[in-house]
This record gives sequence, structure tokens and C-alpha cells, in this order.
Amino acid sequence: MFKVRDDEPDYVFLSDTKSPRKNQYGDDIELAKKGDGLTGKSLNINGDEGVSDYPDRYKQHGFYFNADNCISCHACESACSEKNDLPPYLAYRAVGYVEGGTYPSYTRLNISMACNHCDDPVCLKGCPTRAYTKFAEYGAVLQDPDICFGCGYCTWVCPYNAPQLDMEKGHVHKCNMCVDRLEVGLKPACASACLAGALDFGVTETTPENRDQLKTQIPGFPTPEITHPNIRFQQTKTLPKEMTRADSTDIKYQLNDKKDAFVPVINESRANKTKHWNLKKLLSSHENAHIAFTLSTQTVIGAFLIFLYSQYMGGSTLGAIAEQARYPILISSFILMSFGMLKLNLHLGRPQRFYRGFYNLRHSPVSREIAGVSLFFAGMSGFIFFGFFDNAFTHFMAGLSAITAILGAAVGTYYMYKLYRIPARPFWDHWQTATSFLGTTMSLGGLFVLVASMITLQTSQIAPVADKLLLIILAGVLLEGIGLLGHAHSMKHAQHEGALSHFEQKTKYGKSYLLRNALLLLSLTLAYLAYQFSMSYELLLTMISILTVVTIAFAIIGRALFYVLVIPTTMPGAFFWRNKGFEEHARETGLADMPQTGVLPDGH
Amino acid sequence: MLFGRKQKNPIKIADKGVVDWKYTTCGYCSTGCSIEVGLDEKGEAVATRGVSGADVNRGKLCLKGIYEHELFKLEGRGETPLIRDKYYEAFEKTNWDTALDKVSDEIKRIQETYGRDSFAIVSTGQIMTEEFYTLGKLARGVIGTNNYDGNTTLCMSSAVSGYKRSFGSDGPPGCYEDFEHTECLLAVGSNLPEQHPIIFWRLKQALEKRKFPLIVVDPRVTMLAQMADIHLPVTPGTDLALLNSLAYVILDEGLEDKAYIEAHTNGFDDFYETVKQYDPVSASKICGIDEDTIRNVARTYAKAGAAMTIWTMGINQSTHGSDGVCAINNLNLVTGNIGKPGGTSLSITGQCNAMGTREWSSCSGLPGYRTLEKEEDRETIANFWGIDKEFFPKKRGLFQTDIFPAIETGQIKGLWIIATNPMTSMSNTDRIRKTLEKLDFLVVQDAYQDCESNQYANVYLPAGVWAEKEGCFTNTERRVNLIRSVIKPYADSKPDLWIFNQIAKRFEQGQKIKFPETSSGVFDELRTLSKGRMLDYSGMSHDKIEQQRGIQWPCTEGDEQGSARLYTDGKFQYPDGKAKLLALPFIDNNEVPDDEYPFWMNSGRVVEHFHTRTRTGKVGNINKFSPTPYMEMNPDSAKELGIRHGSYARLTSRRGDAVVMVQLTQRVAPNMVFIPFHFHDCVNRLTLGLLDPHSRQPAFKQCAVKIELAVDQHTAAERNKEARSF
Repeated sequence: MFKVRDDEPDYVFLSDTKSPRKNQYGDDIELAKKGDGLTGKSLNINGDEGVSDYPDRYKQHGFYFNADNCISCHACESACSEKNDLPPYLAYRAVGYVEGGTYPSYTRLNISMACNHCDDPVCLKGCPTRAYTKFAEYGAVLQDPDICFGCGYCTWVCPYNAPQLDMEKGHVHKCNMCVDRLEVGLKPACASACLAGALDFGVTETTPENRDQLKTQIPGFPTPEITHPNIRFQQTKTLPKEMTRADSTDIKYQLNDKKDAFVPVINESRANKTKHWNLKKLLSSHENAHIAFTLSTQTVIGAFLIFLYSQYMGGSTLGAIAEQARYPILISSFILMSFGMLKLNLHLGRPQRFYRGFYNLRHSPVSREIAGVSLFFAGMSGFIFFGFFDNAFTHFMAGLSAITAILGAAVGTYYMYKLYRIPARPFWDHWQTATSFLGTTMSLGGLFVLVASMITLQTSQIAPVADKLLLIILAGVLLEGIGLLGHAHSMKHAQHEGALSHFEQKTKYGKSYLLRNALLLLSLTLAYLAYQFSMSYELLLTMISILTVVTIAFAIIGRALFYVLVIPTTMPGAFFWRNKGFEEHARETGLADMPQTGVLPDGH
Repeated sequence: MLFGRKQKNPIKIADKGVVDWKYTTCGYCSTGCSIEVGLDEKGEAVATRGVSGADVNRGKLCLKGIYEHELFKLEGRGETPLIRDKYYEAFEKTNWDTALDKVSDEIKRIQETYGRDSFAIVSTGQIMTEEFYTLGKLARGVIGTNNYDGNTTLCMSSAVSGYKRSFGSDGPPGCYEDFEHTECLLAVGSNLPEQHPIIFWRLKQALEKRKFPLIVVDPRVTMLAQMADIHLPVTPGTDLALLNSLAYVILDEGLEDKAYIEAHTNGFDDFYETVKQYDPVSASKICGIDEDTIRNVARTYAKAGAAMTIWTMGINQSTHGSDGVCAINNLNLVTGNIGKPGGTSLSITGQCNAMGTREWSSCSGLPGYRTLEKEEDRETIANFWGIDKEFFPKKRGLFQTDIFPAIETGQIKGLWIIATNPMTSMSNTDRIRKTLEKLDFLVVQDAYQDCESNQYANVYLPAGVWAEKEGCFTNTERRVNLIRSVIKPYADSKPDLWIFNQIAKRFEQGQKIKFPETSSGVFDELRTLSKGRMLDYSGMSHDKIEQQRGIQWPCTEGDEQGSARLYTDGKFQYPDGKAKLLALPFIDNNEVPDDEYPFWMNSGRVVEHFHTRTRTGKVGNINKFSPTPYMEMNPDSAKELGIRHGSYARLTSRRGDAVVMVQLTQRVAPNMVFIPFHFHDCVNRLTLGLLDPHSRQPAFKQCAVKIELAVDQHTAAERNKEARSF
């Protein structure tokens, strides 16, 4: 048990307060009742079998933050990092701020934030490995690094930047609510360390002494609708109508028309409006593995489905593909898919734990995606394997494998899309993600088969095959294009971080964006021309070669833009700490080579 | 389990395995927090925590204290003494005897060749009181140089001077508990949340219990200014005019405490004549605060049952810092707010033992608030130490800020720097660099061999740091607190006390004087020398101090406890027992912005760093909050210059230039910028540091600069990075 001192000051003890039955979201505050099997158990902290007799042990606890009072002295952050023995490059609790007004009528609003141990923990639901548990004890949402395989999906879905992907250690870790302190009646280290009467802790929905409000929102804090976070605020002082972030994200929070909430809008006066390529940054991000994985998987799924169609329902024209292009298509599909999956696996912090990806089929779209894609891969592999033999059994097995692959493709594609519908990542949380994934499946899948056919089929067989495939490609590119138009329109008029993502798409990556759009149009035109007009073999060959290059290029740039542009709905950072811009700068200049800069250098 | 695993793994939470907690006092600022260092089984310092029963911090610590256990093993610690003939040669490792022989030989040689005062000593506010006293004994009683001063000249000298001029002696009369009693608090150039977070917490606690007006005078909208009931964004360097005007309103409207003035002060008439020139209309033109606000603040202050003023570098580091302190004292004397609960003039001190050096180091005179100018004091100390009183000079020598120019012009040939880093901390870095190059001999004694001043040392002596040693610190509220030795000094570094004693042994006169070897042995001398004086230590002992978690002097033999306040009886340290009301005309000698250099430049502290970052710059978990220097600049002015948030700008002053990253914020005025003072080769390349005539403290906070976008951002980033070895 955590050791309590004889003369511990009053302010560190959890206080007895009456709490309502339900919280403001309508969720129960009492999480377990005597006799329901959840109470009276040890939390087994560091092997200690003790059980606390604290009467509120089974009530949802949470932080209370008085935003009027925070001075950004970093005591809470430091107390947390010290207690949890954290390296300088990450923290469970961070203080960021927003500021507004004009000198000297200036206001800075500091926000100290850790995990909010939410009623609806999206981290827990998203985690494919089931590394997360929401405990009946205190309602703590705890994550077990020994289970985690370091995919970082929880860091995508959490709106509060609570889970920390430790690139050095290869797993995530996060705020543990100091349950060891709670078990002996002490508030967490951070709340005990607060020097300004800002941070407090207790049963959620209770107002600490000398405080009045139980707000669920303050400017800079993401909407509580996503996760029902267990944090309550006091913020009584009138704020300027616009509060600007100090980190490199050009977002400001503007009082809405109803004057009841602050909404994120682009900070036009600060944002850089010139158009750049930024190709290097675009194509060398940590998310490259995802680009490789999604594009290759979608291509292979598309190609394989077309192949199956051509084998079983292709008739005389498409049937030629199954007959003559069988091995080139199947073997290269197998290789491409293996490459994509390997890339994805290697980008995990702990690749050797890849098998844990299926652990959370009940909640996690990532688990379901992995399951679907694996099923597809298994089905496709089976289909290829049994195709080497020629008897009734192998024919049956090949058919079964094909059905498995189709099922896997459906589930995998759907959840591959679904997993990006993250409310805290508004740039992705749009139907365009579906049109893009489906469009790519069609266009790259179709191209894949077309190229293979061009290589293997006889010249005379090509025109009718190409005709059908070009239609699929054309439809795919068109679908992608329609999605992008809809997406751009939504983002442009959005009142969320997606608007800034789109703005950066047109500025920071403006030239790359224009190139992608031009390539898409070119691809569309080429596919249309090749489909519409009959032409000589040589011309067709030329056109398809160009189409292939153009389509692959726009798919890669497009997908890279998709990943690099996302700006999460999350807590504002400070000028140095939790500032993406500074982190990049520190890496580029080599400041990050000094560990005390608090930024991990490149190569991680 | 609500969601997640049915089969729960055991929860793992970091456990540093502390087996023993040792009592000590924080070694950063002068708040004086009691702190415990946790040792693991191997005896390594692995954790720190605030002492719950200590009145100062009541269990709390600021971020620097929270990570203080990391100090012992930071990069750049000195392992053995280093020696070299010329500063541009490489250092060689040596042993203590060789190093100390060299130091004493060089001191003797320089003194014999150029005179006793040609060897100077610049000390610190960082080492223990017992060490200060011993160094004073060595400097005044053995080496006998009159050019001996501490870096407190850069931070508290104006407060010392102001207290002396107003009350006849140094010594802050108030305490933190005054927050619990005051009915109005005026903070002038003091930003507690950033500089003294624990004192801010005490203030906040008091405000939560009982609301009282908080008035903040600061050109920047600091967090304290933002929380103030009234914020006075004063024009830099003009606070004296404002303070005079507050006194004007009080006297003009008859709000003064006539009885108190009559009974306890001198000099009213002259004072009143001067104050008359600062009616709110005239003053508003100087200080930029409108006349109504001046009147309002003056009335609020004067009508409060008890009112107190706190100040820090906003007052001290200006061309009239000493006058500013006296003006604050004037304000409190005319309203009868000295020595009563909630009524005081409380300077919030900077370094952990700036108070200790003021009391006992003999920098400005002789130990125990004694002066060289008084024959009686010279005699007492000479007799106590067993030397001839004629060995002492009859007048104080040069201040730190005058020692450097004296090196420049060749009067001083040798220098001993102890636990201070003028290469970073003094204004006009390039000039200091040239100055140090001119020395015949420089010895640097510091815990960190990478402190920039060591670049010019001939001998480097590695000292123990903080709780590797034992002794006392005095805090802002005169509380003497104890640092227990928690672990052994790193590698072959030695406690400063040991170093001083070893050097003393190498002088003939040093062998005649008693130099106690232990800290408590030295403390006994302090008790004897302080008996019956204002700063009476005679009722204290190391053990009693630890037991009470610090004792405020005076604590006379037989007293169970110390004293919260000074001058409670209205008797001051001037011979007639009266305080002085001083006439303080404001002369504007600041380097005011003009067409060529259109911006005010202000410098100051940030919460995560301490002084020149030799410690905090290496503790990742606190350095990360500002790992590289930055400048707060108003976005409207930046726009005109094409300077963007997060880019690098180049600043130029009449002294030099600096490159710094820009943080755009409306916290600063359109014609002002702010840069933290902690970073080497940065803000002090620009500062003028005009000296206060009384305290010789530099005006770090006011100078004029011009700003331009660093055209080549890449080169600017390189230049900034190259200046950071930590």
C-alpha cells in the first residue's frame, strides 16, 4: 500500500461528499453495488492484495478543474511525471493554454488535462488488444502496457491526448488515476500538488469546497459528447470572444452565436496562406505504413474480387483473365498483400505481439478490420493453394476459400473504413473515407488486373477485357472524385479542426494537393478516353501505362494527404510542450538530440 | 471491471523504492520550502517531497523542488579540480592540493605585486550561511581584499539598500503569514506564480479564506496581473513616479497615519516637498497610469486596516531600484503599515540564501549586519577572530558590478568566482567575455564545470551541491532553515566550507584564526556574534531548526520560537529609533525606446528555470517547458515587421544582438518585448544594465532594442542551437 505520512496535510485527503445518483450525461455514478460480484476485490497494485474500505470506492471519480485559477506553474504535471517516473519526452498530464484579448486587457486560460476516465472510454473500445479496463473501483480507466502492442489507435480516438504512445518503449501508457494513492484515501499526486486551487479530485459531479460550478465544457476542451469525460470545470470569469492557441495549430476558439460555447475556427490572421509542396514531409511521415497497408490491401481486394468474378462469372471475355493471367495476378496479389501487412505490422511498437490484434472483436473496429483482412488473406491464400490441385475436394476447398475471402473482404473493408470514423479526427470522420477506400479498391484493383492482363493476354483478347476493366477503374476514380468534392465542401464550411485540415491542404500542401487533383482529373480523362474510344493496341498500351502511373501517383499522394492532414480535436498545447510545430523544429535543428529538450529525435 | 478484461492483470505503478526520507531545505529560490529527499536501498536520491509540517510550504513544492533529487547526478558536474596556465589552453585534471596551492599562491602573488585589493572575490546567494560566514572570514580576515561582493548585487542589492536607507538596517520586516491578515496587497514588479509559486500558493490560500484587494503593478500581463483586482500596466522604469504619486494622494487627502509618522519617522517635510511634485496628473504623464486609477489605488491602500507591499526584480533591477524600495517603505510608513500583521514592506527574495549572504558573508561589511564604517563593529569582529582591527578597511569596497569594470581597467588582476555565472547573468555578455579574458588569474568554484564562466578559469574547483552539504539558509521571511547532508558530494567534489577552510590554512594569518571544520561549529560562532542584535540566532541550533522546520530570527537564547515580524514596537535601527521618510525625486535616465531602437526590452524569470540553467537546463522534465529561449512579442507589432509565431527574430541593441524564437502574445504591449533571462548568449547580449547609484544593481529590465525578422531562419536556428550546450 502507498505509505501515508503521519502528518499528511488535510488537502491531500479524499473528502466525503454527497453525490447525485446520475451524472449530467445520465450515466450512473455508482458503478457497482454490494453483492454484484464486482466489489470487495483487491486491485492488486504491485502485488499488494489489500482492499481499501473507502466508502466511495465504487463511485465514478474524476478531476475538477477551476480554470479561473490555474497559473500554469506545471506543479501538477511534474508531480505526475515524478510519481510515475516518466521520461522527459512524454507526460500523462499536460498544461496547455489559450489566450485572447488585447493588451492590457488580455486573458490567458490555462488548462491542465490528463485522462478523464470517461463513462464511454473510446480508448478502451478502440484498443484491439484489450489493454484497457474500466474498473468498478473509482471508475478508473487503466491501460496495461504489458498487453499493448503499440498500434497507437487509442491515441487517435482520445480527444484529450491522454494515452501516450511511447516510441522509445514501443507501447502506450497513461494516467492511472494514482489508484495506489486512492486506495489509502489520498487524492492523486497532481491534485495534491496544485498550487493555485485549480486542480482537485473526488467523486464526479460533486462541487469542491468554495466552488460553485460543475461545467462540462470550457474553451479549448473538446465536446464532451464524444466520450462523456469525468471532468468538471469552473470558469466564471468573462473571456474574450476569441481565444487563440499558443501551439503551432492555427486554431482559435470563437464564442458561438448562442454565446453558450466556444467553437474551433481557423486563426486566419496567423495561418500561412502561401501554397507549398511539402512533399518530403508528406511522404515521410510515421503513417507511411498505413499508406502502404491501405493502398495495397485495397488493391489486392479489388483485384482478387475481379479475378473471382472473372473465374466464376466471367464468361468468355473476362474468363480469359482467370485462365491466362491467373498466376501473375494471384502471386503478385499475395506478394503485395504480404508487403502491406508486413509494413503495418512493423510499424507497431511491439510487432511480436501482432497476434493480439484480434483480442477486442467485441468493441474495436481495428480488431474487426484485422480479422476481416486476415480472413481475406487466408481465403485468398487458400484459393491460390487449392488452385494448384485439380480434384473435387480442392475445387470445393477453393470455392470455400473464395467465399471466405469475399466475406473477409467485406468485413475488412467496412471496418477499415469504420475505424477512421473517429469523432476526434473530423478530417477523417466523413463519408469520403468510404468513397476513397471503395474507389481505390475499384480503380487500383481494376488497374492491377488490367496491367496483368496486358502482359499475359493475347493482343486480340485485350480490347474487350480492357473495356470492362476500364469501366471499373473509371467508376472507382469517379467515386473517389465525388467523395473528395463532398469532403472539400464539408470541411470548408465546418466549425471544427477539419476546416483547418482543409485549409492546410490548400496551403501548406497546396501544390501537392493541386497535383493530386490534376492527376485525378487526368486519370479520369484517360480512363474515359480509353473506355469510350476504340483504339489501336499500341495506343491503348500507351494510354494504360500512363493511366497506371497517374492513378498510382494520385492514390499515393491522396492517401498521404489523408494521413498527414488530420488535425485532432484535442487539448491545446503550450508554446513548447505539446506543440507539434516545435517538436518538428527540434528534430530538424537537432535540438531534440539533447534529451532534456523533451522531444524524441528522429528515428523513433 | 465494467468494460475490458474479466481476467485482470495486476496493476503496475512506478515505485521508486524509497526506504528513507531525509530532511533538508530547497536549494533554489528564497521561499525556503522544507523538502525531504527519498533514498532507495542503494542510497541513491530518487524522490523529493514537500514536508507536511513545515509552515512555509505545508507539504507543497513547485516543479523545481519536485525534481530536485535529480540535481546530484546531472550532466556537467565537476569531478576533480582542473587546472591550466592560460584560459585558451585545455584543462588538465589535478588533485586538490595542487589546485588549492595554486589558488593561494596566485592570490599571494597578485596581492604582493598589485596590492591587496587587486584580487577580488565574487560570491553568490547559493551556498550555506555557515559557508558564507567562513568565506567572509577568509576574505576579510585572511586574504584581506576589500573587493569582495556577491551576486546578490544582481538581485537583492536594491532591497538591501532601500531597507538600510529607510529603516537603518537590512532585514525584511514581514512574513508570509501577513497574507492572512492584510486587507490590501500591492505587488510591484513581482510575479509570484512564475517566480515564487509556493508563496503564491500561500497568498491564494489566504485569498480563498478571505477576499482582499490585490493590486498589481507590472508592464506585462502576468498571471498575477491577470488575477489582480486592479492591474497597473506601468511604463517600464517609472514606478518611482507612481509610488510618489500614491503618497501624494494619501497625504493630499489626509489619509495618512499622522500619529505613526509623528512617533516613528524623521524627514517628513523634505519628503512631502518632493512628493508634492507628483500629483496624479503629472505622474500619469510619466508612468502611463491614469490619474483616477492612481487615486483609487492610493485610497484603497490607505484606507485598508492593514496593507502590505511585496516587490521583486521589477523594482530592484532598475536605475532607481533603491529609491523604489524606499518609496515603498515611505508608503508603508505614512500609512503605519510596518511591523503589524498584514502591514509590511516585504521584498520577495531570489536565491535560496541571498538572505544568508546579506546577514553573514561580510560582502557589504562585517558579519551580523555589521559595517566596516563603524569602528565598534570592526573592533568586535577583529577581537572575535583574533586579528588586528586595522587589518579591516574602513569603508566598503567595490560591488560586483564595479569589480568587473575594475578588471577591465586593470585595477583588479585576479578573481575568484564562487557559485555564480556572470558570463550568463551579467548584462552585456560580450563585454563580460572581454573582461574575463583580461584576468591574470581566475578561479571558478562551482558544482558544474560546464557553467559558462568556467571558460575563462585557470583553476576550477568542483564544489558539492545543495544537500551534499550541511548548513542553513535564511528565506525571504527571515526563516533560518536547515539543509541536512543527504548524500556524499559527487565524485571528488568537496563542500564549499571545506574548500574555504583549506585555502585559509594556506595563509599565515589563516593559521592563526580558528576555522571550525563542521557546519554546526561555525553556527556556534553565528549564535555568539548575533546575540542581542536584530538578527539574533542565539536561541537556535541545527537540531532545533530541523525540529521546528525553520525558525524566524530574531530568536534569542531562551526563546522557544522565532519572531514573525520586525519593528512591531515601531523602533527602527537608526540611532534615534526612527525610520526615515525619504525625498525621492524621479530622474528618468532609462534607455528609452526611440526611432532607431523602438522597443522596450524587459527580461525576467520563468517558473521552470533557475538563474543560468546550470541545474534546471539539464533536468528534462522541467527544462522541456522552455528548452530554448523565446521572446514574447505583441502580434500587432510583429505583423508590421513580418514576424510570425514560432519563427526566429533578430534583436539589436546598442550593445549587441541576439537571435530568439518569437512567441506572439497580447500579454506584452505593442512597444515592448519580454525575454527570459536564463539563457546563455541571449538576452544579456542586449541589456544595458545601468547601475543604481545606491545599490549598484543593474537595470536589467529596461533597455531599447530594434527587432527584425531573421531573414535566414535556418541560420538563425543554427545560431540558437549552437549557444545551447544544455
